[in-house]
Amino acid sequence: MLPTDQLFSDYVPVLIASIAGFILVISALIGSRLLAPFSEEREKGTTYECGMLPLRRASTNVGNRFYLYGILFIIFDVEAVFIFPWVLTFVGVGPLAYWTMVTFVAILGLGLAYAWKKGALQWR
Amino acid sequence: MTDLLGNDLNLQYELLGPEIALVITAALVLFADAFRRELKIGQSAIPAISILGLVVALLLSLLWIDENKDFARLVTIDNFTTFFRVLFIAVTVVVIIGSHEYIERRVSHLGEFYSLLLLSTVGAMLMAGARDLLTAYLAIEVMSFSLYILVSLAKSDTRSGEASLKYVLLGGVASAMLLYGLSFLYGVGGSTQYTEIAAALSDGTSTLELPLLLGLALIIAGLGFKASAVPFHMWTPDAYEGAPIPITAYLSATSKAATFALLLRWFAGPLLPAIDSWQWMISVLAVLTMVIGNLVALQQSNIKRLLAYSSIGQVGFMLMAIVTISDQTGSALLLHLSGYIITNLAVFMGVIAFYNRTGREEIVAFRGLAQTNPYLALVITAGLFSLAGMPLLAGFLTKFILFQSVVSGGYTWLVVTALLASTVSLYYYLQVIRQMYMYQPEGDASRWRLSPTGYLATGAMLVGVVWVGVYAAPFYTAADRAIAPLFT
Repeated sequence: MLPTDQLFSDYVPVLIASIAGFILVISALIGSRLLAPFSEEREKGTTYECGMLPLRRASTNVGNRFYLYGILFIIFDVEAVFIFPWVLTFVGVGPLAYWTMVTFVAILGLGLAYAWKKGALQWR
Repeated sequence: MTDLLGNDLNLQYELLGPEIALVITAALVLFADAFRRELKIGQSAIPAISILGLVVALLLSLLWIDENKDFARLVTIDNFTTFFRVLFIAVTVVVIIGSHEYIERRVSHLGEFYSLLLLSTVGAMLMAGARDLLTAYLAIEVMSFSLYILVSLAKSDTRSGEASLKYVLLGGVASAMLLYGLSFLYGVGGSTQYTEIAAALSDGTSTLELPLLLGLALIIAGLGFKASAVPFHMWTPDAYEGAPIPITAYLSATSKAATFALLLRWFAGPLLPAIDSWQWMISVLAVLTMVIGNLVALQQSNIKRLLAYSSIGQVGFMLMAIVTISDQTGSALLLHLSGYIITNLAVFMGVIAFYNRTGREEIVAFRGLAQTNPYLALVITAGLFSLAGMPLLAGFLTKFILFQSVVSGGYTWLVVTALLASTVSLYYYLQVIRQMYMYQPEGDASRWRLSPTGYLATGAMLVGVVWVGVYAAPFYTAADRAIAPLFT
């Protein structure tokens, strides 16, 4: 078992990095506040060079179906994260690895079937 | 099969039979509900399938009595696990039988309700069986995530959503603290296996006093949230009030018992060598919990909030057993836990039946229940008296054995506090009983009856309360045999 000071000394670089990071950000903010010239004009608030003038408020309603689609997408995205390392190693591990992944994908497939049946894929 | 470190892994899947059976049942229930029109089955088929799956899981878990095996170094199957498996399955069966009427009327998404109930039971069972910190953590999350959703399923009650949101946010904070604490424990013990942490902590060469203390404080705070110990109890009354009543009953039974199963496993196992570091923390928590829980209960006017605070008070009593942990207090705690669950379910089944009829949950709404439905008044009275600790009922005997074992563990002052708190609790339980017996019913004074399943659930729990109170020997032996594997 490691003694306390050694355990902590491993993290000294992390500590230094985080302190340095804070100093960097804070000094940049203070520096720009002190050094940069500021002018208050109406034109500064409008769109610059290209792009059109905003028509409505930026915060509008977003259909909650987007979130549902997003969640379904993430589920299968995460599945891919598991499948890629599995592809590289499953031949060495043997049939257990194969059937485990089949079970995993089957469970996700069931989930998709459930979501489908409940109308999650229907854009109404 | 071996793991990366070369340890042999026992991949006997039948050891996880009950859990697997419940997960399959949960999926079946979900699909049976989603395809109900195509399959041409009625609403009542859903709880029936759930109960069938639970009975199968119960039988499968009884196969492993007096075994001591582990699955892949992740889950222990011993008498302790079996005890809690049976307990949790029984609780879920009672909750389903006693509440399907309520659920059909007042809960949206039937299939999701039952399948999440089954999944949270699986989580609770794994919490009792885990022998690895990460497995335990995942089991906690399986149980909690299901409960977060279940709390929000009361149709047409805006409090339900609010309760669920509060529960999710505070539960998330608790999980984060717990996980951070576990990472400290891993740093100190060098492993996530309970046995190896215990070995690392007890060889006495550790100089990691500060990280250990920090880890213990975070773990106790995290589990304190889950068990709703003061000062981490703030979510409890709101979650209990907003949740559908069957889920309130379930929260007060399974979620509490599972947390205590985990506390027992951890504090009698990997953390036992560090007892000097955590004993005072838990005793402070115990005193605060039983005093504040019982005092705040005095001014509640809603029956669900009253029972929430009463359950907080009960947690204080149970934490005493963790302070003086030994095989004696451990088995007393298991006995008290089962007595408390039976009693609490008796009260909740009564309240559910009452709510089905009247749709009200204020304490004053119980006025004159002794005239309109003397049987239901009797059930609720027996349950409340048992919670207060009246002789001949479950609460008295289990509390007596618990307090006695804590005294012999050398913590008399804790027990004195507990006795005082317990006397206070009698007052607010009697308030409810007074409403039922001393007042005339308001409005409709005609007699009414429960539904057949209402009679079944309340009757079974009433018999249970009296049975444990009069003849607790079988429960006592079971608790004794369940705790033995933790102290060998």
